Amino acid sequence: MNEFAGAKKWSVSKILLYAFAYGLAVVFFVPVLWMVMTSLKPQGTVMGDIFQRFMPPFSLDNYVYIFENAPVLRWTMNSLIVAMIVPVLSLTMASLAAFALSRIDFSYKKIAFWLILSGMMIPGEATIVSLYMLANSLGILDSYLALILPGLAGPLGVVIIKQFFDGIPGELVEAAKIDGCSLFRIWWNIFIPLSKPVLSSLMIFGFLGSWNDFLWPFLAIQSEELFTLPVGIPFFMSSYTQDETLPMTVNAYASIPIIFVFVFFQKYIVKGITLSGIKG
Amino acid sequence: MNTATAVSRTSAGTAPGRRKRKLHNELLAAVFLAPYFTFFIIFSIIPIFFGLFVSLHKWTLIGKEQFVGLENYVYALKDADFWASLWHTTYFVIISTPFLIVVPFALALILDTKIKGRTFLRTVFFLPNILSVAVISFIWIFVLQPYTGLLNSFLHKVHLLSADKEIFWLNETGLAWISIVIITLWWTQGFNMIIFLAGLQDIPVDHYEAATLDGANGWQRLRYITLPAMRGLIVLITVLQLIASFKVFGQVWLVTRGGPANETRTMIQYIYETGFSANELGLATAMSFIFFVILVTLAFLQFKFFGGKKD
Repeated sequence: MNEFAGAKKWSVSKILLYAFAYGLAVVFFVPVLWMVMTSLKPQGTVMGDIFQRFMPPFSLDNYVYIFENAPVLRWTMNSLIVAMIVPVLSLTMASLAAFALSRIDFSYKKIAFWLILSGMMIPGEATIVSLYMLANSLGILDSYLALILPGLAGPLGVVIIKQFFDGIPGELVEAAKIDGCSLFRIWWNIFIPLSKPVLSSLMIFGFLGSWNDFLWPFLAIQSEELFTLPVGIPFFMSSYTQDETLPMTVNAYASIPIIFVFVFFQKYIVKGITLSGIKG
Repeated sequence: MNTATAVSRTSAGTAPGRRKRKLHNELLAAVFLAPYFTFFIIFSIIPIFFGLFVSLHKWTLIGKEQFVGLENYVYALKDADFWASLWHTTYFVIISTPFLIVVPFALALILDTKIKGRTFLRTVFFLPNILSVAVISFIWIFVLQPYTGLLNSFLHKVHLLSADKEIFWLNETGLAWISIVIITLWWTQGFNMIIFLAGLQDIPVDHYEAATLDGANGWQRLRYITLPAMRGLIVLITVLQLIASFKVFGQVWLVTRGGPANETRTMIQYIYETGFSANELGLATAMSFIFFVILVTLAFLQFKFFGGKKD
């Protein structure tokens, strides 16, 4: 950590470190940059020289084209609806459950918590066929309910929030009880505000997870108008295998909002990752 | 952990009062737990038992046809394609895991130095992670394309590849696996990098200062301070990565479709095809269940070694 005591001095190892780090950063960034640049190229551009691909002429025609020729706006709405509703609902219910596990004394607490912990070991991908059949018998396939309800079952939020609730001093609860607060009010007026940092991290994390989820919506949705973006993109792509500009336009269109979310909320996302590092 | 609860502290009183209070708590807890548990039980627990039930039947998209006992399991275990796809998944785990540990660890080490622009570098290294699997797959399909793809064009430009030669990244099994590993590494390593970085930042600075005073060079500090301090975290991330890599599906399916000649078909893709293309849902759930046992065993190992941290 302290090898740069004389920060002005450029040693060989320091130059190598900078060259390596920033060289790698270019490698990591080029595919994303290329996606955006290609989306700005006029449709049917012949991809010649590698440097020309990052140079003008640019136009927004491709964006106009995808809006006119694919229900991307609808898919965006679907993705947004699911990615907003799932984290809000699931965190509300998870924090209620976490509150009971952390602050109420009841006989089946151990069993309840043990069930949730074992839930963390269940690999969703390996039960997805039976989830599909269950959703089928519940009659919710190919609907918003199919996109939303299974997302509310995740156990990770409960475990993380409970851990955080456990650290809130009991005196606060005592004081609130003396003032005549019900447990529900204590949860809503004390625990929820105090947990804002954790909840925001989990919220943004949940948003990203839902926004990018592929396998389940791909199985559960048949109607084109209920597609989320990750399902709609491959569907749209299947008719454009030669031209690069339109596929990259759809890609860029689906990614740019999420890149902004990431850049603005990076602090919370990083925190969310460290919190869920124990995720299975 | 603080498990002393507010309610229990105020519940001192006469015996009948205490019993009433206790019943009150049981009901109150149920009210708080009910919303979450409704969904948890329906969508996490029931599918397991339902899947077990389905796997004992011949079952198609139309519905249950007949009870067949363990026949689906026997069929799966005798199915060469089942073993082939299980092997492909295992092969992917073996060739990708070392990179998915070493690369993010190295990047975390870089971000833990006093290099300028750390936040910028962290953002760039992590950026691919937030993109959808559909997006990254189609980026890479076009990057890896022969003749016009970005990668081959670059190799031509710098004369690493002669102008009359093309590399068909996705048409040859070995190259297809290399491509899949590169894509997965580019896409997912940021997650591990962030966790490693958090671990590195927890190592007290004075340990390094003391070592430097004792004349330790950078390599020795890494070998004798960083690595021992990070050992637990490295093991944990390796196990988590193993579990995550066993579930590989999306990027492989979208980029290679399991090709060439099903040589990169993963376990989940085969389960999906058995269930939904071949319309053998009973067989597909039996395969899922075998796969489930493998994953739960891995998760159990993780839980056994690291479970103590959770409560």
